[in-house]
Amino acid sequence: MENADGSYSLSRRQLLQMIGTTAGAGAMYQAMSSLGLAAESPYQGPIDLQGAPKGATVLILGAGLAGMTAAYELRNAGYSVQVLEYNGRAGGRNWTIRGGDRYTELGGFAQQCEFDKDLYINPGPWRIPYHHLGMLHYAKVLGVPLEPFLQVNYNAYLHSTQAFGGKPQRYREVKADYQGHVAELLAKATRQNSLDGSVSKEDQEKLLESLREWGALDKNYAYLSSEAASDRRGYEKNPGGGLSARPIPSKPVALGDILKSGLWQGIPTGDTFDMQTALFQPVGGMGRIGEAFGRELGALIRYNSKVIDIHQDERGVTVNFVDSRSLGSAQSVRADWCLCTLPLPVLAQIPMNVDQPLASAIAAVPYAAAIKAGLQFKRRFWEEDERIYGGITYTDLPITNIAYPNTGFHSGGKGVLLGAYIWGLNAMEFTAMTPQQRVQKVVEYGSQIHPQYRKEFDNGVAVAWHRVPFTMGCFGMWSSDSRVKHYDDLCRIDGRIALAGEHASYLGGWQEGAVTSALDAIARLHQRAVSQGEKA
Amino acid sequence: MSRLIGAVAKRNIVMLLLTAAAAAGAYADDASFTSHAGVGSMTGAEIYDHICLGCHMPGGQGAVGAGSYPKLAANKKLVSWEYVALTVLNGRNGMPPFGLPADQVMETRAAHLSDAQIADVVNYVRSHFDNKYKADVTAKQVAALPHPPTAFIGPQ
Repeated sequence: MENADGSYSLSRRQLLQMIGTTAGAGAMYQAMSSLGLAAESPYQGPIDLQGAPKGATVLILGAGLAGMTAAYELRNAGYSVQVLEYNGRAGGRNWTIRGGDRYTELGGFAQQCEFDKDLYINPGPWRIPYHHLGMLHYAKVLGVPLEPFLQVNYNAYLHSTQAFGGKPQRYREVKADYQGHVAELLAKATRQNSLDGSVSKEDQEKLLESLREWGALDKNYAYLSSEAASDRRGYEKNPGGGLSARPIPSKPVALGDILKSGLWQGIPTGDTFDMQTALFQPVGGMGRIGEAFGRELGALIRYNSKVIDIHQDERGVTVNFVDSRSLGSAQSVRADWCLCTLPLPVLAQIPMNVDQPLASAIAAVPYAAAIKAGLQFKRRFWEEDERIYGGITYTDLPITNIAYPNTGFHSGGKGVLLGAYIWGLNAMEFTAMTPQQRVQKVVEYGSQIHPQYRKEFDNGVAVAWHRVPFTMGCFGMWSSDSRVKHYDDLCRIDGRIALAGEHASYLGGWQEGAVTSALDAIARLHQRAVSQGEKA
Repeated sequence: MSRLIGAVAKRNIVMLLLTAAAAAGAYADDASFTSHAGVGSMTGAEIYDHICLGCHMPGGQGAVGAGSYPKLAANKKLVSWEYVALTVLNGRNGMPPFGLPADQVMETRAAHLSDAQIADVVNYVRSHFDNKYKADVTAKQVAALPHPPTAFIGPQ
């Protein structure tokens, strides 16, 4: 097909049609995915591992979501599977802290969670996008019920210490006013024919019509205090019933004030593919998934096992480990194959005979600093006083986020919210504090947004991911440079060892990255095992 | 001092990017936290207390879990200032690189330290925690060491 510039190329549509006709819908979908058109998780549906060699054994390191996904599927395929896990529980970063839990971070700083029964905080992952099909599949298979996770709440706040006298602004007001003013400006430019012919006369009419609709403009394309604008940003007095029913429209904030405030930067938080409605959370905490996996795998997981050495030879892999509590004498376990899901900061310190490119890749990925703090309050004032039901407030304070519980609405009694979710430099600084200092600072800062904090605060916990003994960091931060240099080497099977985990994915920090990387790795290990025949 | 709020859709995570214009230092009302523009004025001692201490612990005691953070106290490896400076510059085994150019730290959510600051924190660590080395490393010496790559290639 000849293009305007004389070159020949197939259009993507033509190419996909050809693939579809010759190789079937599955292949077409695969091609669409790799072209980024389907753009969902690479999850391809339940994995099919047929013909596992009789008696073949696989040793899995780490009972997080990658390790347990692999263990579950390999066991079902007929492999003899064993999992070594450092913690005394299943899940890894899939983790919920509940009332009564005790957690000791590196350095020996201990916290006792004093939340009420049924209240919890997810110190790690907390949301599952609707297109994370692997996660949704395993939640379903394991019987873990889901409920909505609210990413965007129009009645939550955007807050800057430098704008509006530090008074938090409702998301709906900032969004409506920004959108309204921008629509008005663009309408003006359109009517003054300032668009330099980039829009045809006919399209100009349509554009104006759409701007009026999009920005809640009046008949003169102005964004002013009106019923239409209040229908977006909220009323001064809401419409009601009876004699006192008449609504009073609210007054938009001037464009200059919105622009100066910087709050517009918080508008698109729910627009990215990962954050678009619908998102889910497991009922009772994210940790329910890891716990269910753990129950399902039962005695296949050996807990409290700290790996100290990984050695492969031509016929198999030997792993030495010690009891992670007593650090007693080393024990040894051997298998034909090894799937290693240990986080890279941990793995990088364990002697393992693999090729230099893989060893370099393991050492090349810094882990993100991150902090989460869960705060229990004596009452759900964010609902009772401010009508904020779930969702997230964003602020330029070091706490960055306040996220309200997406469950238990209108329940009396105490409530737990996420008081901080911090990345980068401030996360490092929070990490350097004791857990008690962190909680104190989070409460101090949060009270600038919710003054009720001062009176209602009950107790809290704070997790700093670089001090988490089993990961030593939140997740692998690939730079575009290190991705090019090391990613493929990290994912390639080295003899009898394969790696999996969110660090071996393009979904960094997401559980779906762990799940899909595990499925990808075991499919390749399986292929290798099958090709080597009965007793590998 | 003007600090802005921002929602940055950086691939997978919606995070708030704290940006700072002009010469912002610590938060006006709180010396516990530093704004991004304020990083440049941190001394070696402050860098240790605010950043290094999170992992290397008070007194440079290090920690052991599934892996370990090296104990810096009375550590004979510190005899080589280059070893320490290269580690701070380029990161190691999950530790972020602090020698990335300032305009590239967002990609790894680390913090940028100048050569002078790296010299300063290297000197601090080598002359504290029962380490008795001379605190005489200079910015010029640090500048001569290999830094992390400055040109990122291709899309992430």
